[in-house]
Amino acid sequence: MHKQTHRHVWKRIRDREAGKLRANHFANRIKSNRISQLQLSNHKDIVSPHKGAINSLQVDSTEGRYLLSAASDASVAVYDVQRPTVYEAGGGGGGGISKHSSIFVVDKQHQQGHKYAVSTAIWYPIDTGLFVTGSYDHHINVWDTNTTQVVVNFKMPGKVHRAAMSNLSTSHMLIAAATEDVQVRLCDIASGAFAHTLSGHRDGVMTVEWSNSSEWVLVTGGCDGAIRFWDIRRAGCFQVLDQSQTQLGRRPPILKRSMITKDSSTKLRAAQKKHANGSGSRQQPIGRVPSKGPMKQRLHTGMLSTQDRATAHYGAVTGLKATEDGMYLLSAGSDSRLRLWDVESSCNTLVNFETVRLQINKPLQLATTQDSALVFVPCMRSVKAFDMWSGNTYTILRGHYECVNSCWFNQHDQELYTGGNDRQILVWSPARSIADEMEGTAEDQDNWSS
Amino acid sequence: MGTEEGAHGKVTKVVSLIEKATNSTAPEVDPRLLKAIKTVVRYSDSELRLATQTLMDLMKRDHSQVRYLALLIIDELFMRSKLFRTLVVENLDQLLSLSVGFRRNLPLPAPPAVASVLRSKAIEFLEKWNVTFGVHYRQLRLGYDYLKNTLRLQFPNIQANVERVQQERRERERRSKEILLNKYESLKENSSSIKGGILSTMDEIDECLEILHAKQESVSDDILDDEELGDFRSLELQQLRLEALKEGEKVYEDNDNKVVFETLRELYKLLVTKHLVSIQEWISVLVRVEVADNRFRDSFLKEFIDIRNRLKSVKNTCEKAGCSLLNSSKHDEEDFWEEGNVVSMEISSSASNNKKKHLGVASTSHKMNNDSLGLHNKESDDSGTDSLLHRGREVESNTPRSKLKAEAPVVRWSSYLDNWGSNTVFMANQRGLELESHWGRVDNDAVIPADKIAELNVHAMPYEEKEIEIQPCLAPLRKGGLCQRRDLKVCPFHGSIIPRDDEGRPLNENSSDGMNIDLRTDLVEQLAKQAVKNVRERDQEVARKREIDEQSLKRAKLAKVREHNEAVLRDAALASTSRSAMLGEDGEATNEDKLSARDKKQSLASMLRKKVTSKDRIAQKLLSSRARVTADRQHVSCEDAKYREAFPNQW
Repeated sequence: MHKQTHRHVWKRIRDREAGKLRANHFANRIKSNRISQLQLSNHKDIVSPHKGAINSLQVDSTEGRYLLSAASDASVAVYDVQRPTVYEAGGGGGGGISKHSSIFVVDKQHQQGHKYAVSTAIWYPIDTGLFVTGSYDHHINVWDTNTTQVVVNFKMPGKVHRAAMSNLSTSHMLIAAATEDVQVRLCDIASGAFAHTLSGHRDGVMTVEWSNSSEWVLVTGGCDGAIRFWDIRRAGCFQVLDQSQTQLGRRPPILKRSMITKDSSTKLRAAQKKHANGSGSRQQPIGRVPSKGPMKQRLHTGMLSTQDRATAHYGAVTGLKATEDGMYLLSAGSDSRLRLWDVESSCNTLVNFETVRLQINKPLQLATTQDSALVFVPCMRSVKAFDMWSGNTYTILRGHYECVNSCWFNQHDQELYTGGNDRQILVWSPARSIADEMEGTAEDQDNWSS
Repeated sequence: MGTEEGAHGKVTKVVSLIEKATNSTAPEVDPRLLKAIKTVVRYSDSELRLATQTLMDLMKRDHSQVRYLALLIIDELFMRSKLFRTLVVENLDQLLSLSVGFRRNLPLPAPPAVASVLRSKAIEFLEKWNVTFGVHYRQLRLGYDYLKNTLRLQFPNIQANVERVQQERRERERRSKEILLNKYESLKENSSSIKGGILSTMDEIDECLEILHAKQESVSDDILDDEELGDFRSLELQQLRLEALKEGEKVYEDNDNKVVFETLRELYKLLVTKHLVSIQEWISVLVRVEVADNRFRDSFLKEFIDIRNRLKSVKNTCEKAGCSLLNSSKHDEEDFWEEGNVVSMEISSSASNNKKKHLGVASTSHKMNNDSLGLHNKESDDSGTDSLLHRGREVESNTPRSKLKAEAPVVRWSSYLDNWGSNTVFMANQRGLELESHWGRVDNDAVIPADKIAELNVHAMPYEEKEIEIQPCLAPLRKGGLCQRRDLKVCPFHGSIIPRDDEGRPLNENSSDGMNIDLRTDLVEQLAKQAVKNVRERDQEVARKREIDEQSLKRAKLAKVREHNEAVLRDAALASTSRSAMLGEDGEATNEDKLSARDKKQSLASMLRKKVTSKDRIAQKLLSSRARVTADRQHVSCEDAKYREAFPNQW
């Protein structure tokens, strides 16, 4: 198998040399090839100092190097995932086991540390000088990384489930906080006060995610099963996702639409027709590119009560993840379903993800690969990788002994980090190259007696 | 097509082998089956995969015994095959939860005794695997870490223990080295005083010996003169003379040199108990110590060895002079007392022996004569000085004495031994108790005759029954193991007790294979045969017997051949890959399976069943509703009757 893949690699390199393959394409090919070989890394250990369940994991987006983890024992730790602190000889793959210990830990002993479980920890998106933690002790702290001191402190009305900052924002420094409270609050680091209070959810808010396409759009998922879209420049929410509004398959890309053959387009139209008949309240054609114009505004002011009460999941929405291009949204619910939403049409794409069971009492952190081909979902004790568009299980990553809470995919190294209730942070990395393996096999061999 | 079929056949073979191996109540996997599994799995990856699958399925069985045996096979393969490791490690958490049972919703199944063994074994295996292969498999490390640090399970910690023991040993060695070094330093400081002490003692001994020898010169001359006077013509007498000469060279203690002897003995004691021991100790210290400056040590060592050699030579001379008793005085003394008993017992036989010898010696040496004569008279109360000489004789008399000792009966100690063989009469009224005029006239001269005393003192001996070991029944039991009941002739469960081999098969029936089936009729037959045989033995009809022997011999031979054939077939089937061999074995196996499966399944199931104890049965009887109702009624009526009896005038 390895031989095969390596031949492919060489062929691609030749193609790249010849100029047949563009640089971007080439890189993507290599990356997806690596991602397809993800397995529990035997040469990279993250030594977790936590004494409680790992609730959140994030690698900074500027350098792709520092992993931030938050745990239930009120501790937060930062690791360097690229430079190990200790090499331990004799590891698999010949190169030894590299141990990544935490650079620093903030726990209960710290005078400004959290009192209860830290549910979320995120990097300031611009650099690694700041990070934000939210905890069950009702506080959101903004920390200076270098001095590990609290810079700004927000008192929230309830337990903080999740906090998020926009990767795109150039004009605001808002932390969106999902708490036990029904209102979503936006905390402004610059002023140290709440900038917004978004009300609309009928129950606590489990999860929050900024849109990847607009710095003003915020998505929240609540315990009432609703997923709401907010435009922070306006009051109120402008969209509620409805699981019964469906659209079969992926919207065809605009460029290719002219090439669609006649019968397929009729099929599409038929589907649309059927759908239109099914839900009579909404007469909007699906293929239309919607503009957030007066229509939306009108919808908001007099938003139909039926639409306002729409649910995306039966039960709570436990996880949200927007794709890199911002066109799709993945949601996980306590009904053990994973749904893929088309953001533009706000329709359920009816992709059937073969989940078995999802953890229901904690917010889940999903992860996607950069090209949005795979999504990593914590399914109880294992992490499942699904094909985003077909919903088929691509691979099951087993290694944790208790429920997994969070995943983070490191785009830079094509590594997956997972944290669970068993206090471990596991690294899943592509298989090492053959040369390394050859060295390693010297020790681990068959040992039959005569 | 053919090969595929063959492969398929083999594949099922692995599964059936594993299933057969795990379908047992034994505490370990049948080694032959295990070997067969290993050989089959070794040469084919597909079979290994199938085996992995089968084993994991078996681990899910709702029976701890099956899981336990499967785990044993898993360990066996895990330590050997890399592919197996990679396959198992993928699902390690499942394997662990099924074998350790750490998940609360997945506890280990019944029977609980096996479950606990399974659990401890699983933990032990995990530790072993982690030590051996942990470096190569992150999953192993994770599992070990989880069980150890999160669930806080107690691991046997074999390696750590070994390391700790080594550490302790090193520590001990280091400490002993330090002590040695300290000793060495102290030796360096006061070596001269030690040497001085020893040398002075030796000098004194030398002086003593000199004095003795000076005296002896004249004595030996006397002896020679005496001997020349006497006539020793015959050969025996010549020999005796030679011996006597040798003896004569020894210096014997008498009144003249008593003081010298005493000092000599004291010095000798000092030499042996103190100096020799201390010098030996110092030498060992010097040998063991490790110092940078070897020169000094070597010179010391040389000196000490010299001193030791001198000491030994001095000691030898002392012993020659007759000091030797003291170095083992305690032992000898005990021996001596014992001898007193024995001698008095068999005085008639040994005395003559002794006398002869004594006379032989006496004729040559005057001093000896004196002593030995005295010795004869007061054998029982030998003084310390006499014992010295006594010992000299003892060496000679050793052989006949020990012979006699070996012959002598061992009797229990009792008070009758106090006046064994004595002929004295006892004065009945002279026992220290003043009886005058209390009870009338007392006859002071009343005696109890010796034979009466002997009668009164007759040695009583409790009768000790010879212990007969009652053989256990040893019949094979359903649940495995052998019947341990000990009955004299008939076991209430398994019939008459007959000699059986280790597996519980009757020894006599071993010769014929078919007999096993109808055991009862066979038993009768055998008994009859035995009786007949006995009668004929009594009648000495040798010819008939020989015939029977021949018959049984022939049978045994046949059985042996049959057995051998079967074994060969079975072996071939287990190891072979050919289809034909498979077929034959399969038929047999199914037959056997049907028989054994019923047996074993029952036993596997019976492991799960709760044992019904007598207590349960009693409880069932007593706590049944009917019994309770009747008891209640009885109780009420009893109360009623009592009441009526107490108050008969109330209606």
